[in-house]
Amino acid sequence: MLELKKLYFTAQNSNDENGTLRNIIDGMDFHFERGKFYAITGPNGSGKTTLAKLIMGIHPVTSGSIIFQGKDIASLSITERAKLGIAYSFQQPARFKGITFRDLLSIATGTDEEKVFLDIVSRVGICPLSFLDKEIDSTLSGGEIKKIELATTIAANPTLAIYDEPDTGIDLWTIRPMVNLLKKELTPDKTTIVVSHNKSFLDAADVIIILSHGKIAYTGNLNDALPLLNDLSICTYHQKIEGIENAECFR
Amino acid sequence: MLSALDKTLLKTVADLESLPQGAYNIRKNGKLLHREVSANINIETNADGTGIVVIIKPGTKNESVHIPVILSQAGLYDVVHNSFIIGENSDVTIIAGCGIHCGSSEAEGHAGIHDFHVGKKAKVTYVEKHFAMGEGKGKRTLNPTTKVFLEEGATAEMELTQISGVDEANRLNEAELGPDSFLFITERVLTEGNQSALSTNNVILQGSGSRANMISRSVIKGNSKQIFHASMDARNKCFGHIECDAIIMDNGTNETIPALKALHPDAELTHEASIGKIANDQLTKLMSLGLTYDQAVNRIIQGFLK
Repeated sequence: MLELKKLYFTAQNSNDENGTLRNIIDGMDFHFERGKFYAITGPNGSGKTTLAKLIMGIHPVTSGSIIFQGKDIASLSITERAKLGIAYSFQQPARFKGITFRDLLSIATGTDEEKVFLDIVSRVGICPLSFLDKEIDSTLSGGEIKKIELATTIAANPTLAIYDEPDTGIDLWTIRPMVNLLKKELTPDKTTIVVSHNKSFLDAADVIIILSHGKIAYTGNLNDALPLLNDLSICTYHQKIEGIENAECFR
Repeated sequence: MLSALDKTLLKTVADLESLPQGAYNIRKNGKLLHREVSANINIETNADGTGIVVIIKPGTKNESVHIPVILSQAGLYDVVHNSFIIGENSDVTIIAGCGIHCGSSEAEGHAGIHDFHVGKKAKVTYVEKHFAMGEGKGKRTLNPTTKVFLEEGATAEMELTQISGVDEANRLNEAELGPDSFLFITERVLTEGNQSALSTNNVILQGSGSRANMISRSVIKGNSKQIFHASMDARNKCFGHIECDAIIMDNGTNETIPALKALHPDAELTHEASIGKIANDQLTKLMSLGLTYDQAVNRIIQGFLK
């Protein structure tokens, strides 16, 4: 389904005046399979969001390849990747003036049919119907906009769905339905990748991927991952407060 | 009779496919083309012949008046003074607009000076669209002025739009608010090429409990230029808000100057303003749903000016 081959993303160290470069994604190889739910976790600044953005084409790949359904997509635009069936749920969704949830659904589905929108709203379950004509502006709460973000991603009916920290700002009693929803949306021909620190998503995942310093530190089931997760959270505490990637995580 | 060109202009500025229902007054090249009055809405030429007086009987509900102006005569600069007297407790919609078709190298222009007297507890919705087209190189100028007087408990909702094709605009909106009245202005202006637009807005919150909300959305394309002034003078216990956002594309320039003047200790005034290019996260989001870069830009602008 999706294969990363010697994937690198290099950026300038943000607090280094000499402009030294750092590999934020440092030569990554991995194969994501169909029908599986992946949870990417790891300390702040380990490269989780960067990796997700490289797959969607939001950041340009420095070197290496991203093979999606047999085709190298590393040089394709965001639009082209979206048309191939990749969708992305942003950690901090964009806010617009004058664009409603209905407008986003219309763009995602390519139709204006009311019935299609109603079906999506009921399928997603976590967004009330009253959201449809809400503007995606600064009046939405953090939780509301995340629910809408998730719904537009599902509406695009992607083959590969990437969710970057979908639970940010979501109330505790919505997280379980959200996990169930993502599990339900995952059919055998699709792949789901969730970037998260939330135990509910890690519990639900078929495969846990732990990143550390831009490399894959672990892949496998959750039980075996727990000791490592504990170690990483302590060892890298100081890294949390420095660097471009960390700033991004906190934004 | 309406020509094909008249119909295009009317469709664009007033959403009219043919002559409207109810009261209307269509002005073409400085002269009356069609007029119709209704039982509750009278339209007459004013005393000095420079425009019309629209009188809406007290208690008139859910009626509308169309007063479009169309211009297609080379070299004409049409100035019109229109007055609207809106009776107490009425609720009406007035649809104005000016469409210019410029077919030659001579300049064409229109200045519509509209004053509104909105009676006690009356509500008026005023929709005004400005648009110019045509293959001619002559300068198209539109200089609209609105003056609004709101009596106690009156409401005016004004939607003022300059769509495209206007080379030079000098827009002036003034309002004076009586007790417990409410004014809501939304202004949308798009300029492109070497066009320029100046918009000046002066709102006086005179009465106790009056409220005003002014929203301005500007899109500045090409080498065009927009200047936006908005001031709210609070002279009583009242609430006023100004929200002005400008999106700059290409090499456009914008100056936004909001002014809040609290001349009473119980006045509450707020404003928010932003000028900048389209936010990257907005473009990225729409592209991730399958739009191309250009489609995403258009969709964002379309929503912003909606």
